[in-house]
Amino acid sequence: MKLKPSEVTSRPVYEPLRADPNAARHWLILEAGSMDADLLAALGAAFAPVVQRLQVYWIGPEAPTTALGSLAVLPGVVALSQVLAQAQPLTVNDRLCVQGTEPFVWRVAALAAQAGLPLSQVQLAHAGSQRRRVWCTHCHGFTEGVTTNVVDCAGCGRHLLVRDHFSRRHGAFMGVMVDAEQPGFRPAMQEVFP
Amino acid sequence: MNGSSLQLRVVAAAAISPSLRHLQLASADGAPLPPTGAGAHVLFNLPGAGRAHRNAYSLVNAPGSRSRYDIIVRRVTASRGGSAAVHERLQVGDALEAQWPANLFAPIRGARRHLMIAGGIGITPFLSYLQDASVRQTGCELHVCCRETEQRVFAPWLPADAPVSFHWDNEGHRLDIAALLGHQPAGTHLYVCGPSELNASVLNAAAAAGWPDDQVHTEHFGSGGGGEAFEAVLQKSGLSVQVAADESLLEAIERIGVATPCLCRGGACGVCVTTLLEGEAEHRDHFLSQTDQAAGRLIMPCVSRSRGPRLVLDL
Repeated sequence: MKLKPSEVTSRPVYEPLRADPNAARHWLILEAGSMDADLLAALGAAFAPVVQRLQVYWIGPEAPTTALGSLAVLPGVVALSQVLAQAQPLTVNDRLCVQGTEPFVWRVAALAAQAGLPLSQVQLAHAGSQRRRVWCTHCHGFTEGVTTNVVDCAGCGRHLLVRDHFSRRHGAFMGVMVDAEQPGFRPAMQEVFP
Repeated sequence: MNGSSLQLRVVAAAAISPSLRHLQLASADGAPLPPTGAGAHVLFNLPGAGRAHRNAYSLVNAPGSRSRYDIIVRRVTASRGGSAAVHERLQVGDALEAQWPANLFAPIRGARRHLMIAGGIGITPFLSYLQDASVRQTGCELHVCCRETEQRVFAPWLPADAPVSFHWDNEGHRLDIAALLGHQPAGTHLYVCGPSELNASVLNAAAAAGWPDDQVHTEHFGSGGGGEAFEAVLQKSGLSVQVAADESLLEAIERIGVATPCLCRGGACGVCVTTLLEGEAEHRDHFLSQTDQAAGRLIMPCVSRSRGPRLVLDL
């Protein structure tokens, strides 16, 4: 599912993942539900030059057979913290590459930052659904898995307009009360992030 | 004190080595100076023999100083006049005009560690880094490649417990750049300031060791050096000027009174970028991308010159 281009400059733009032949260890983190055979074949070719120092983690149920060699299956993102803790000390020439939905890749980026890997050593690429994590500017709560232009806030129940403004720290898009100016006046709810 | 330039006065001057002179400057009218951050520089108008020179020098005073600016200037053997003016002409009490400070080499605030490599007088921006509390708190390390005899001349600006190592060109004392860059913790930012050969070897070593480009920063000094004389035609002004062999294109343009914005005068900031209408540029800047340089539509007159006898600029 291709992401629509946005005029909002805070909106991240994703490029296909690349291996860095000069770098040392590479970790490739894939979200099970977002990958397909073509993507896996492309990743297999892209990471072939560093296959000797590559570890691939498949986040979700049973892993398929791919050109990437053996995949380690992890039940969820949290288990990655353990993996990064065991890989300490992390160095400036280590690279983390992540592919999946935006809420997934930014959650991994946040875990990596906690482990000491800054965004300049992390590559993120989008795959799968366009669904968004939304941050409410009113109650500061998060609403997960949003696919519509307007959504009921999981925190305060306000009807939120989902904007293109993105926070890398929260890994979420901004949601603002849609009928704040004219109470009760709300656009029809449409699925725009399938 | 108006917004575009600073009127300064030399309040102290001293030779700290045969080729290095320290100047301390305060504002001419006693008003507080604009505060600066670590890595900032100031562009000075220096009185020269026959013509004025505009040179940028890093500030070595502690960040945030409002009472004085300190600079250390190396006398360049092949000086075109700027550093000679600082060494020979400027005396305590002299007035000096300068532009507002700018910073093209600030430490990165999100860094987990700062690794600095200086070549000779390239230590100057790092003297202010080491006086920055947040840089010190984050963790840092400075490696200076200099003459053996110059190890101690910068001591007055180095905090006593600053993590500094000196290296010089002698068996057992050279800096092993590849070894230093090979094992640095994730999130380290690398800063290099020195002669172009040192900058290039550090940048190449960092690339070979797998450093991400975003974590490597460099500041070049020196003008691009001279070259062949050529003619510059300023289309909009309807003027033409002969650029001498020891003069930059920007200096020639300023000499005939055409105002051109500039900031670093070293090909780094991009402020003086000018549209090139005719002629082939010899690009010496660090600002234009390779694609832009190859396209030949833009030129940085502070350092770049002409390959042929004539350039036509949209000025």
